[in-house]
This record gives sequence, C-alpha cells and structure tokens, in this order.
Amino acid sequence: MVDSAVQSPSDSPSHSQEETTSHSVLSLKNVSKTYGEFTAVNDISLSIPKGSIYGFLGPNGAGKTTTIRMILDIIEPSSGSVSILGHSSALDVRNQIGYLPEEKGLYKKMKVWALIQYFAMLKGMKKHEAKTQAWHLLEKYGLKDFAEAKVETLSKGMSQKVQVLSAVAHEPELVILDEPFSGLDPVNQTVLEDLITDMARNGQTVIFSTHVMQHAERLCGHILLIAKGRKIFDGTVNEAKATIPRRVMLESEDDVSSLNSIEGVIEIGRDEELDVSDSAKQQWQLQISEQLNPQDILRSCFEKNISLSRFEFTEPSLHDVFVHLVGDDAKEHAFR
Amino acid sequence: MNMIRLIAWREYMENVKTKGFWAGILIFPIIFTVMYFLQTMLSNSTPTRYYIFIDQSGEYGEAVETAIEREHQRRILGEFVSYLMDNRKESNLELSAAAGTNAADQLIDNADADQVAALDEWLESGGLNFALTMASPALKEDRAAFEQPSRQFIAADLPEGIDSSASPEAIAQALRPYLSGERKIVVDSRPGDLFALILIPANVDDDISRPGAMPQSPSGPTGIQYWARNLTDSRLPDAIISSINAEIRNREYIDLGVDNQIVRSVQRTRMPISQLDPTAAIGEEAVSVADTFRQLAPIGFVYLMFISLMQSVQYLLSNTIEEKSNRIIEVLLASVTAGELMMGKLLGIGLSGLTTIAVWLLSFFLFITLYQSSQTELISQILDVILSSELIPWFIFYYFAGYALYSGIFLAIGSLCNTLKEAQAMMMPMIMIQVIPLAMMVFVVRDPHNTIVRAMSWFPLFTPYLMMNRAAADPPLVDLVGTTIVLLLSIVFVLWLSGKVFRMGVLRTGQPPRLTELLRMLRHRN
Repeated sequence: MVDSAVQSPSDSPSHSQEETTSHSVLSLKNVSKTYGEFTAVNDISLSIPKGSIYGFLGPNGAGKTTTIRMILDIIEPSSGSVSILGHSSALDVRNQIGYLPEEKGLYKKMKVWALIQYFAMLKGMKKHEAKTQAWHLLEKYGLKDFAEAKVETLSKGMSQKVQVLSAVAHEPELVILDEPFSGLDPVNQTVLEDLITDMARNGQTVIFSTHVMQHAERLCGHILLIAKGRKIFDGTVNEAKATIPRRVMLESEDDVSSLNSIEGVIEIGRDEELDVSDSAKQQWQLQISEQLNPQDILRSCFEKNISLSRFEFTEPSLHDVFVHLVGDDAKEHAFR
Repeated sequence: MNMIRLIAWREYMENVKTKGFWAGILIFPIIFTVMYFLQTMLSNSTPTRYYIFIDQSGEYGEAVETAIEREHQRRILGEFVSYLMDNRKESNLELSAAAGTNAADQLIDNADADQVAALDEWLESGGLNFALTMASPALKEDRAAFEQPSRQFIAADLPEGIDSSASPEAIAQALRPYLSGERKIVVDSRPGDLFALILIPANVDDDISRPGAMPQSPSGPTGIQYWARNLTDSRLPDAIISSINAEIRNREYIDLGVDNQIVRSVQRTRMPISQLDPTAAIGEEAVSVADTFRQLAPIGFVYLMFISLMQSVQYLLSNTIEEKSNRIIEVLLASVTAGELMMGKLLGIGLSGLTTIAVWLLSFFLFITLYQSSQTELISQILDVILSSELIPWFIFYYFAGYALYSGIFLAIGSLCNTLKEAQAMMMPMIMIQVIPLAMMVFVVRDPHNTIVRAMSWFPLFTPYLMMNRAAADPPLVDLVGTTIVLLLSIVFVLWLSGKVFRMGVLRTGQPPRLTELLRMLRHRN
C-alpha cells in the first residue's frame, strides 16, 4: 500500500516495460465523434503500450467518456479508426477487456458474489471458475463479509468497489476504468490504487479516466490530457511536467532579485499571498529552466550573502500542469 | 448462444426470486379460491328478513302466505339439487346436449309460464322428504345428511299502536321509521329490523289491468304496495306478485268457466330440439355439452394469453429500464452484443411468463383435486375436454408468436425510456390495440367467419388473439396459412427493427425521442 503511494512514475512497471516493448494494446487514429453540430471528440490519436497505466485526464465534459465508449465500440466514431488488442472492434476481443463505466450501477437484488460471478461469466469464464474468483477477490479486497449480502444493502463506496471487482474479475488484458475513484473515501481510494498497480504488475494494461490529478500522478506512466474534445497532451508524466517551468521557493529578509543573473533563472516574482504578515520575511518564487540545477541557486545565495530561512524546490505537480494547460477551458466549462 | 442462455437464465432466476413475481402469480389462484368460497358463504349468510303483511282486501292473505312458503321451498329445492350433484354416485358430462338443454328449457319455460305450478308439483309430490327417499339409491352411501336452509322471510306483527285498518297512507307513514331502520320491531320479544311492508289496499281489485284496457295514468301507488329500503333483493316481491297473479288468473278462469287444469297442461306442452354437428362423424352428430365447451374454450385461451403477455412485457419493460437507468447496460454492451442481450432478455422473461401459466394451471388442478364438489368436478371435466382438444397446440403457437411480436415492441419502448413513467405513456397505445381483439372475443366465438373478423385477423398485432379465438371453428386454410405467414414475417421484422432501436436506445439519455427523431436516428444508423 505504502509502496504504490511513494512510487515515482519513473520506476513504475509500466515505464520500464514501455522501454522494452513498443507493443501497443490500443491505438486511436484521428478519431472524432460529432453529434450534429456538436463535436464531442475531435481528432484524437494515441497509442497505449502494453502493461502501462494510462490516465485520461481532462475537465468535466472534455470527451473522456465518449472516447472510452468509442474504444469499446459501444458507439461508433464519426471518423478515424481504433485498433484494440490487434482488432478493429472491441467486440471481437471483449472477453479480454474489463470495463467500469462512469455512471455506476449494479443489479440491486443480486447477491454480491453472484453478481461478480455473473459478469465474469459474461466475459467467458466458466461458472465454477467465476465463483472461485469472485470469492477470492472479495476476500482479498476486504469485502468477504458482504459476499452474501444483496447489492442494495451496500454503501455507495462498497458497491463501487464491487463494481470494479466485477469489471476485472476475468483478469482481462486491458482494463478501462471510467472515473473509478469518484465517490470513494481516501482509504478505499488507496485500495483501488493498489488494485490498479497489482494489475499492472500482472502485465495487464490499465486505462483510467479522472479529473483528480493526485491519482494520476501516483499511478500513471502515461497520460492523455484532453479538453473540449481535443488532445492537449499525450506522453509520460515527466514530459507533461516539463511543459511548465520548474520553480524554486525562497523565504528571506534580503532582496533576492540579484539571483536573476544565474543562467537558467527565467523569472523572479514576489509571492505576496504567502507573506507572513508580522515579519519582515518575504516569499519569492523563481521560475527556472529545465537544465538548471537548483543547487546552483543555493550556492549563489551563499555567495551573494543572502540569508535564507527557507529553500524549497518542488517538481511541478500534474495539478499545476493541468491548470496550466486546460485552466481556461475548465473554467469555461464550469460556468456552462 | 452461450451468452444468450446466460442472460436468459439470470433474467429468469432474478425474476423468479422476487416476491413481486410470486405475488403476481399467486394472486390469481388466491382470488379464484376466495371468490369461490365467498360466493357460497354469502348465499348462505343472508340474514333473516322480517316483513309485515297487511291485507285490507281480505282476499290475498292465503296467496301471499303460499308465495312465501314457495320461496322457501324454492331455496330448499335449489340446495337439494346441488346436494344431489355433490353426492351422486356417478357423473357424466357427455350427456347429450339435447337432453341437457331440454331439461334446462323445461325449467325456464316452467318458471316463465308457471313457476308456481312447478313448485306446487314439487310440494304436492311430497316435497323434500319424498325427493330424498326417491334419490337415495343414486346417492353415495357416506354422504352427509341434507341440511335444510333456514327460512329467510318471516312475518312479523304490526308494532303496537298502529291500526291495521287505517288508510294505507297512514299505515305507511307510521311504519316509515321502522322501514328506514330508525326503529326496531319486536319479534319473539327480541328487536329486529323490518325488511319490508306488503300492503294490499281494500279496493285493490280495481287496479287489475287487463289486455285491451286503456292504460290509466296513476295518481299515486296502484295495486299492491311493497315498501322496502333494499331495492336489489327482489325475491320477496317477485314471489308475491307471481303468486297473486296466479291467484287472479285462477279466478278469471273460473269466472270464464275454463278448467284451469287444462290451461296448465297446455302451458307446459313443448317440442324438443336436437342440436347436431354436421362436421362430426355419422352417428355422433349429437352435440354434447363438451362440444359446446370446446367451442367456447378459445375465449379462455385468449384471455389467458392477454394476461400472461401483459405480465411478461411489464417485466421486460421495467427490467430494461432498470438496467438503463443504472447504466448496467453499458457494462453489458461491453460484454455482449445488443442482439445477444435482447434475445437473452426475451427468452428469460418469456420463460417467466410460461412459469406463471404453469403455476396457474397447477394450482387450478390442485384446487379441483383437493376440493371436490359438483362445480369443481364440472370444471375438471371441462378441462379434460379442452386439454385433449386440438386447441392446445394452437395456443402454444399463438402464445409464442404473440409474445415475440409484442415483447419486441415493448423492449424497443423500454430501451427508449429512462423511467417507468415515460414508458407507461408510450405503452398506452399498445395496450389499447390489444384491448380491441379482447373486447371482440365473445362475438368472434359466435361468428368466427365474419368478414370483418376475417379481415382483422390479417393484421399481425391482432392475429394471435383473433386466430386463437377462431381456432375451434376450423378457420379456412387461406386464413390459416396466410395470417401465419404474415405473422411470422412481422415477427422477424419487428425483432430486427426493435434490435436496431434497442441498440440506439439503450445508450441514450434524456427524454424519449419523438417519432420523427426516431426515424431519423434509424436512417442514420444505416
């Protein structure tokens, strides 16, 4: 559990695997979907390597769900093509795909284990196998006590977990989870993160959509960022972070403006919001280039005799990337 | 195919496991049983009714008393007949219809012309005791003794302080509080409700109407006055009026010098009628009661088909809507094709429908085996006749055809709606269409080759109902083959079309589309 949380994207299994195999389990070529005048998805191309954990990020209404539905061939693209596990339609390989839709729902009157068994059987598992697998999963993810309960008696979070389990019980090669974290409490979010990393370790490819960046940051090797149906970014998390400048935070009573003589310091700005009002200390924010080692700044400070009460170098988070890249779109959507 | 079976099995099991399903199934036999026993109980539990009889003319006292005695004897006779039916040693339904109808006709004739005489005959020949002695050789040895029904109409005395020789208006006025239930009369020093007042005014003979006389515009009540709050229990006034009329006619005969015994025998002279079936083998043309039932049986089948189809499509609809509103449909469609999903649902729900019919028939059989009486014996014999007839294969064929046709349509409706409320609005026209052949069923049995009926049979939505309805009457081969072809083609078309609607509809959200929208969507999908 702790492993996955501190795991940096660079040593996630997906990353290493991506370098060894360029085998792609899913690729979209110029896929678009229009409904009359409205374009829900506009010319998206991407390729997802086997064994990776791939995040679909974007604000509400960006087209994540539509893209997923087209991948699954639940709806047909208006143009473009999809190749999934070597086939042109997900229906041909549907037993190798696991899918959790965005809007969650289950048969309310069924028993939990029977429900997981049923969905696994729909994916081609034998009855007995499916039953064993259902009980195994329920035990592993802490739901054994509810196995005999009816779905309608479960809490929202629990039934969502059950739904995730029913989507992956047949151990599919490709797992597609649409907003799997929404509605889960932090503990169960971690359980779900574990499940996802377990699957990736197992060689399964996981695609999930979310608008909560922390999950993507902790889990994903690759991300796709879409807004208003367009692809904004597609690549590794590190590549995504490189799209915005790195920053160094300083706190000092002295004037730090002389630091701009260092090669690689792009901009120095006062961060007045963070000022501690009853002291003379001031907060500064330095934007630095990709190449600059933050240690050089520290060294300069000693040289220039700037006394620091705080020195902080933070990698930009995906959240920053997200806001940077789609901030305006997201806001616009929020008011629609 | 595996997936279809799996989906069908789940639909079936989930359906069968719900309480609602069993409630829906069991309500029918329960209501049937309750109705059956309630009817018997109610007819035995009518309370004793007290009446006051005042005859100011002094001429009809005896006639009224006989009328009431006859009414009592009529009840005894009725009970006795069913006692005989319950306890006779052998029963055979395949009586010749001629004998059956003649006997029935005789009774009806007698009752119409001279019910009084029929009852008198029964009384004169010794009444109940005599009948029991006569019948006992034909009855089972271990039978229970016959219980006489209690008297229902009992004469009460006029309450104190009311003068029976007062004017009819005054008497009626004085008795109003008793008749309306405000006051109780005293019978055997116990209080009781006064049911009726029968008042014969002194000059009642002036009101006798004869054929050819000018109808008089009455200024107030004429003839015998019958006062009662209960307007529906007409046994008492009916018995009195027929008794008094018999008495009056009797006097007329005497006045005219006619022997009323001759009149009676003339009135009861009759000609029998034999019903013969030209399609039956020579020597077996006589129409039996069973044949008549066979002809009427399609009504039952049409009704059973309607109820069962309505129940099934209801499940189908609510089920599809549940999956749709829960978005389970999306997971399902990522696992199976829309076609497989649809066929699985149709099969699974169809199976529940068959289960319903099976349970009904079973409980029906249980009822008639466990509770044996004359009526249930009759029912079981009718069932034997029907089950051994050629109607069963017809029913199976039209049931499945009707189910495929209607469920296809209802499934498409379900896939377009998000709530049951929306669906109900769209269902209405489909239900109305089914009500048309249902409303026609009695007529169709009577006139199965009517041109309009024949024409309507070709409309596929009517075909299962109307052709089932006509099944017992050997419809022309043209109708039979033609409508079947049209029906089967329509089923294929409907299932194909609803498959398309289903595929589009299930992923739709929001309001159900208008018809033009739907057509446009269907075109685009091509």
